[in-house]
Amino acid sequence: MTPPPEHGGDTAPPRRRARRFLRHNGLGLFFLTTFLLALAGQAVAGHAEFNNQLVSDGMAPLDFGAYLASSDFAVDVTENWQSEYLQFFLYIFATVWLLQRGSPESKELDRAGTESDQDQLTGRHAKEDSPRWAAAGDWRGLVYSRSLGLVMGSIFLLSWLTQSVAGVAAYNEQQLRRLQAPVSWAEYLSAADFWSRSLQNWQSELLAVASMAVLSIYLRQRGSPESKPVGASDSATGTEG
Amino acid sequence: MSGRWYGPGVVAVVVLATVGACGTPSERRDGVTAQLTRFERALDAGQRQRLCAALAPSTREELEQSTKRRCAQAIGEQNLPAAGAVRRVDVYGEQARAVLDHDTVFLAHFPTGWKVTAAGCRPRPQRPYQCEIKAG
Repeated sequence: MTPPPEHGGDTAPPRRRARRFLRHNGLGLFFLTTFLLALAGQAVAGHAEFNNQLVSDGMAPLDFGAYLASSDFAVDVTENWQSEYLQFFLYIFATVWLLQRGSPESKELDRAGTESDQDQLTGRHAKEDSPRWAAAGDWRGLVYSRSLGLVMGSIFLLSWLTQSVAGVAAYNEQQLRRLQAPVSWAEYLSAADFWSRSLQNWQSELLAVASMAVLSIYLRQRGSPESKPVGASDSATGTEG
Repeated sequence: MSGRWYGPGVVAVVVLATVGACGTPSERRDGVTAQLTRFERALDAGQRQRLCAALAPSTREELEQSTKRRCAQAIGEQNLPAAGAVRRVDVYGEQARAVLDHDTVFLAHFPTGWKVTAAGCRPRPQRPYQCEIKAG
């Protein structure tokens, strides 16, 4: 999360260093903290909802620890994780090639594609402070040049796989509670429950991305790098405030 | 295949860095099999009190309400088959299904251990099992 310290950073008093750390990492820390709070809230609400179902079905309620270890909690968490990482994976790769006139989310209209080594500061155009693999002309350069998308895509696939594994266990637990036969993992992959959970998350993520790409053509958020400068033209593409 | 999908469920939980405290899949399957054996022995021996003690509270309540008799009297009149050997046990979380030679039994985990939620069950395509005794 933290890039190399600025000059003189190590010699500042501890309190000042801490304040500076918070200021320099506020964005990551804010979202990490609110993520943990939201996850805890989801666990509490999910536990209560799950126990309501169990009690109404004549079953014993689960304690909180057992709920955290249950497939029901796991599938509810991972179905959202996979869709978020899919959203970012698609956005990262799609914005290499696809453009949106007037949107700060898009590159300028003549820059579609992976761009030249000169533009990307790779190979012999790498600078002294460029990451080491950016200068490598072999597989390391290829991998590092796509590392953000590859990692996002890998986390998406792992989360989706975990959703399917936890999902079949949660689905079968419910099947047995209803005196119905369980299904195999392969059968679950074509089950309505799996695709309903996946697609209901995908549609909302894709709508949010489309909204951001288009609304940011006409609307502004003063001071946000996600917006164009307030006074920028609606037709200005690839300019961030 | 017995208990096969409970393990991957635990793997999913590890991904989420949560702590499981419910026993290993094989321990849970053993618990189901042990309770099932007690139930079938009580059925063979006509031990009605033991049969009733093996039932889940909601199943016992439904049996008493539907027959308007006490469980120990009502359960002897149910058409529960001699089940035979256990062919397969599936355990998913707090629920289990045991398929025997001549019967299918459903169980659920309670603080006092595994209890029978339905017995004398026959499969029906695309629908829940039809059971001689079950919860309401």
